[in-house]
Amino acid sequence: MSKGVLVDVTRCMGCKSCQVACKSWNDLPANVPDVPEFSDGLNSPAETNGYTYTTVAIRTVAREDDYVLRFCKRQCMHCLEPACVSACFARALQRDPQTGAVVYNQNMCVGCRYCMLACPFNIPKFQWDKTFPIIGKCQFCFDPNGKLNRIGQGLAPACVRTCPTSALQFGEREALLKEARERIKKNPAYIKHIYGEKEIGGTAWLYISDTPLEIFGFRQDLGTRPLPEYTASYLKFTPYVAVGWTILLTALYLYTKRREAVEEEKKSAQG
Amino acid sequence: MAGLANTFGRGVMTNHFIDYKNSDVILMIGSNSAENHPQAMRWILKAKQNKGAKLIVADPRLTKSAAFADIHLRHRPGTDIALLNGMINYILQNNLYFHDYVVNYTNASYLVNPDFGFHDGVFSGAGTKDGKFTYDTKSWQYQTEEDKIKKDPTLQDPYCVFQLLKKHVSRYDSKTVSRITGVPEEIFLKACALYASTGKPDKAGNVIYAMGITQHTYGSQNVRAIAMLQLLLGNIGICGGGVNAQRGESNVQGSTDMAMLSHLIPGYLSVPSAVAHPTLKDYLSKETPESGYWANKPKFLVSMLKAFYGEQATQENDFCYAWLPKHDGKNRTHMGIFDFMAKGAVKGMFAWGQNPAVGGPTAAEERKAMEKLDWLVVVDLFETETAAFWRRPGANPKGIKTEVFFLPAAMSYEKEGTITNSGRWIQYRWKAVDPPGECKSDLWIADRLFKAVKKEYQQNGGKFPAPILQMLWDYDKPGRQEPDLDRVATEINGYNVATREPLASFALLKEDGTTACGNWIYGGYWFEDKEAKVPAAKRRVREDKAGLGLYPRWAFSWPVNRRIVYNRCSCDPAGKPWNPQAVLARWDGAKWITNDVPDFGIKDLKTGDPVPPEKSAAAPFIMLPEGQGRLFAPTVGDGPLPEHYEPVESPVQNILSKQQNNPLAVRFNGSAAKLAETGSAKYPYIATTHRLIEHYQSGAVTRNCPWLAEIAPHMFVSISPKLAQKLNIKTGDEVLVESARGQIICKASVLPVVKPLLIDGKEIEVVAMPWHWGYKALVTGPSANELTPSVGDPLTSIPEYKAFLVNIRKAK
Repeated sequence: MSKGVLVDVTRCMGCKSCQVACKSWNDLPANVPDVPEFSDGLNSPAETNGYTYTTVAIRTVAREDDYVLRFCKRQCMHCLEPACVSACFARALQRDPQTGAVVYNQNMCVGCRYCMLACPFNIPKFQWDKTFPIIGKCQFCFDPNGKLNRIGQGLAPACVRTCPTSALQFGEREALLKEARERIKKNPAYIKHIYGEKEIGGTAWLYISDTPLEIFGFRQDLGTRPLPEYTASYLKFTPYVAVGWTILLTALYLYTKRREAVEEEKKSAQG
Repeated sequence: MAGLANTFGRGVMTNHFIDYKNSDVILMIGSNSAENHPQAMRWILKAKQNKGAKLIVADPRLTKSAAFADIHLRHRPGTDIALLNGMINYILQNNLYFHDYVVNYTNASYLVNPDFGFHDGVFSGAGTKDGKFTYDTKSWQYQTEEDKIKKDPTLQDPYCVFQLLKKHVSRYDSKTVSRITGVPEEIFLKACALYASTGKPDKAGNVIYAMGITQHTYGSQNVRAIAMLQLLLGNIGICGGGVNAQRGESNVQGSTDMAMLSHLIPGYLSVPSAVAHPTLKDYLSKETPESGYWANKPKFLVSMLKAFYGEQATQENDFCYAWLPKHDGKNRTHMGIFDFMAKGAVKGMFAWGQNPAVGGPTAAEERKAMEKLDWLVVVDLFETETAAFWRRPGANPKGIKTEVFFLPAAMSYEKEGTITNSGRWIQYRWKAVDPPGECKSDLWIADRLFKAVKKEYQQNGGKFPAPILQMLWDYDKPGRQEPDLDRVATEINGYNVATREPLASFALLKEDGTTACGNWIYGGYWFEDKEAKVPAAKRRVREDKAGLGLYPRWAFSWPVNRRIVYNRCSCDPAGKPWNPQAVLARWDGAKWITNDVPDFGIKDLKTGDPVPPEKSAAAPFIMLPEGQGRLFAPTVGDGPLPEHYEPVESPVQNILSKQQNNPLAVRFNGSAAKLAETGSAKYPYIATTHRLIEHYQSGAVTRNCPWLAEIAPHMFVSISPKLAQKLNIKTGDEVLVESARGQIICKASVLPVVKPLLIDGKEIEVVAMPWHWGYKALVTGPSANELTPSVGDPLTSIPEYKAFLVNIRKAK
């Protein structure tokens, strides 16, 4: 029995309380004064990053002859058989069998970023601006030996605790699946699918919605086979790929920074 | 609030947030709960989930609340009266009103002076005085016979309120409503039918509104239209019903209760006028009605004077009434003050938790007006735009002589005290952490300030020292820096002068000087709950025996812990509940059984005998002299019935009458008064302002909180995809937005959040801007209020922030 969260898109009003509660509980810094770029007035930042483990995606959706808004929280799905864990030769990523939390340990991480490639949900993010960067991703508020532990003590994650409309519900994954099925049965507005029940072997976070989840960036082509099954035979190459990848990405990062600096200089020269 | 007080007797939200779960249909108009009152949205969603309630959202924008709407009416900013009068017309034409309720509990049957009339947008009694439009309201009054109001319970008399109303709104047929508002006729009719379904005895309709209704030059009339709609459907005084005014700040209800308004003193007593009320006798004789609960006004005022002046206040000296400041009749509201300031007539100002440099209308002019001040004191958490006005972008600090003082204040979690929410709940909050550095609580600052002023008068004298020197000010607590909050609260609550014991209720107040009370409506909030052993405002008992979400022992709800006001209307005249599933009170044949504190007499005060239901049925609105809800309000200065006028800045002519704007709209003639002409080619787009969940008010706190700053860092304007295409603008482009008052540059958000509306056959674009930014804090940007006009509602002077004209183009 592992834990899970049921996200009900029909109950989310896009208040972003979860987004802020996550930062607050996990002592994550804000992107200030280097603020996220303007996306569209609704979403900020547009995606998760090394310091932002969760965001609420807000989209306009065409309905009849007008539009509606729909909101959806995104974060690590905490797969039952995580691709990132099998991709991580350094064992920095581990799934806790008790809770189901897929947890990243920065002390073990070598910075290969293979997890970023492996994740089908585009979740692990790198702190590109740091000299010794680490990966940032939702830990499911699981921190058995640290001060950030919530679910290890039976508490709901910070985001769930703060949700004013019960759009997020924490509990045993099996019980949540039952609840999800009941809601879908009772209300014809729901799409008859629980995202995360079977996708790539199942995830701890489950989604039900009245709107196709693609609009929030969820892939619909994942299948039900766990990803590690595909990747296992290639894992022996990981260390080589990792080293090469690090060099390439660091070079790209420095190149971009340099371009920005040049751009700045140009601007100030004009101004 | 003026609209509510003039219809029901109290200017308050009638129900409370949790009660929303009891609603069958909710009409949210001029409010965006999901964004601005998210905890209220929780109860709306519960109503939808648990009992299949329907939600109608009337808003020009695709708001987060509209995401949950069964029907979304995109009406043009400033056309709420057309929409609401149209709904009223639909209800009357189709006989969908709650007949027994209307006949018994409203003034529908009252006969009005036969001279009353309405012609081409103007009511009878119009005239001019000193070149200004005025109304003589004589012809709006009820017909009387031997001091009794004449009535026709058949509602057939052509001069009865019902017939006058029917005639008045008959012009608001669905076609006309659609032409004015831009809402397609079939969607409007669908909304009418759905909302009218709450006119049945066991159905509850709930209207939720906020600043989208009030911030207009006819804001009070907007509220009146809502209140009338609710009376016609029998939705007042019942569970799940009501007119629910959601306030703009967590404690705005508390601040108005305490009279942070220029026309009131605490407890909604009108401020004494220098002309009309030179003596206590003048005030009491002119301000005390003969019937209704306000007949007790002398007790409230005398007890307040006793609280202010203590032993000095005696029967012989009229309880020091002479010391009370008097109003000079000039406009002392926000816009009035800044108008005087711009003319150099104001020497000093306290901006105490207020940031007019961002939040005021025509904000750039308000910033400029502050340059005329000799001194300015800002009490706030951070250096706000107001505190920094002298070094704002474009200003020359050397040329500004104003001396600015900044007093750092403690935040709500860094001090203790009560806040009063929209639902009138007075809840005590304990201090969570100490304030940082030298930050102090507002109470500490007020206490030291008063003592310093008093010292100055003692040492150097002054023009009128008595009210300062003799003021009762005894809040010191030995050994503590903070004033004694318990003493302050006891004074507000009311106490027996001889024993200094808190009073259980304002019913115990006297006009002979034996009781003192700072604010009568709070009577009982600091009286001990005997079981919980704490003052009522501090208790937190989660007990809801009736299952209606009333939670009678959770904090304290004024008045007298009543959760739903006017609850006599929840029963028929014989005392039988209209809806047996939601009983607030019922007459069992011999006595009243109550779940909520009754808003009517149930026991004779002298004999203790039960009061039969017929008696209270005759006057269920106890704060009104006539005792019945006003469909027609002779007391509202700009008209007894709401009438559609255009916003002062409008792209179109009023198609209903020649009267383009509210003839009594508050206008000024200074440099803040610039306006675009009707149908202006230079400013062709309608603009409206709104808030975001990420920020609070002027952003003074939230833009200084890194986690909030990063989730909404940029000022932007929402424009429709169609307009964007026409102007060749993409999301993220810098655009210049310009009104007759000024211009700003911000990001463009191109989404179907707004879209062009078809107004009388012509497509007109609407654009929308949040107003949370300024030139201080972690993230900065222009304020939308640099564009808003300085015109206001005649009754409240609230500025017309919600509808004005702009032009937009791509910034270079």
